[in-house]
Amino acid sequence: MMRLASVSRTAAVEESIEKVNEEVAVGEDLGFQRGWWRFERATWVFFCLLLVADLAGAFGRGPLANATLKSGDGTLDVSYERIERSDTPSMLKIKLGSPALHAGIATLYVSQSVVDALGAERIIPQPLSTTIGHGGLTYQFAATAPPASVEIALRPGSPGLFGFALGVPGSDTLRARVAVVP
Amino acid sequence: MDTLIHAVTGYCLLLLTVRVLSRRPGGQLTLFDFVIIFLIGGIIIGATVGPDHSVTNCASAILVVGLMHRIVAWGRARSPRFNHIVDGTPLVLIKDGNWQRAVMRRMHIDDADVMSAARSHGIASIFDVKYAILELNGTISFVRQGDAS
Repeated sequence: MMRLASVSRTAAVEESIEKVNEEVAVGEDLGFQRGWWRFERATWVFFCLLLVADLAGAFGRGPLANATLKSGDGTLDVSYERIERSDTPSMLKIKLGSPALHAGIATLYVSQSVVDALGAERIIPQPLSTTIGHGGLTYQFAATAPPASVEIALRPGSPGLFGFALGVPGSDTLRARVAVVP
Repeated sequence: MDTLIHAVTGYCLLLLTVRVLSRRPGGQLTLFDFVIIFLIGGIIIGATVGPDHSVTNCASAILVVGLMHRIVAWGRARSPRFNHIVDGTPLVLIKDGNWQRAVMRRMHIDDADVMSAARSHGIASIFDVKYAILELNGTISFVRQGDAS
């Protein structure tokens, strides 16, 4: 009964909408609208800047996103994307120099973060062996003479800032960070 | 969880983008408008559900979008300011027989758009119009000379 009473409450009709020239109730708010037009202009400028940044690769897939790493002794030459997009495939390309090749075998150490955070899906070519330890994976490939290259297909699962390391036994380890955007 | 975040982000981004696209006079969707709606809709679906196309995930996304819509409707009903932000305000295009050129230029509306709407209301001459108002849904409503009180 109380509920019904509250629903059936009434109020006298009164002028609540602002009139134009005291004649027509329109509810126009030109002050707000002028502010909104300014906001619209600023928003479109912002959208255009976002698109330019996107084309440049600030959100991955562009010149700004591409990066390289080289070891001083020429053992490793790595091409990667410093800005990746989550759930989007990319390639980590590693060129192995002559110090990485011994007796027909090329050895490459890859930190575990390449698998866990950066989502390594496959490695090309197929390694002869994989050894786990030292916080990562050590691959061995059959190799003849340089140049020799290895590619790792990545697909990061979630956004964040992740570091990775690549190395060859007896040489400096290369380290870098990758920002994964949503 | 990702789906919920993506759906909320997608809803807000879509609302902002559609809101900053100026109201089109006429109040009816043209082929031009359909291009925007289908293209943006298609793009946002992919980003919202991601690689998980399960019924559970899609149902979650639908429920989140429905909930967001409900929250926005609730906010509109309770706050005139929020209502203005989401929907804008009606705008006077002809005031007391005078074109409001600044408003028309900002809303990308010309005399022909107003006259087209006037004809659909059975108004043969622009001199018969005392007020023309661009409504929130893009229609133009009219008050004839002598009608205002």
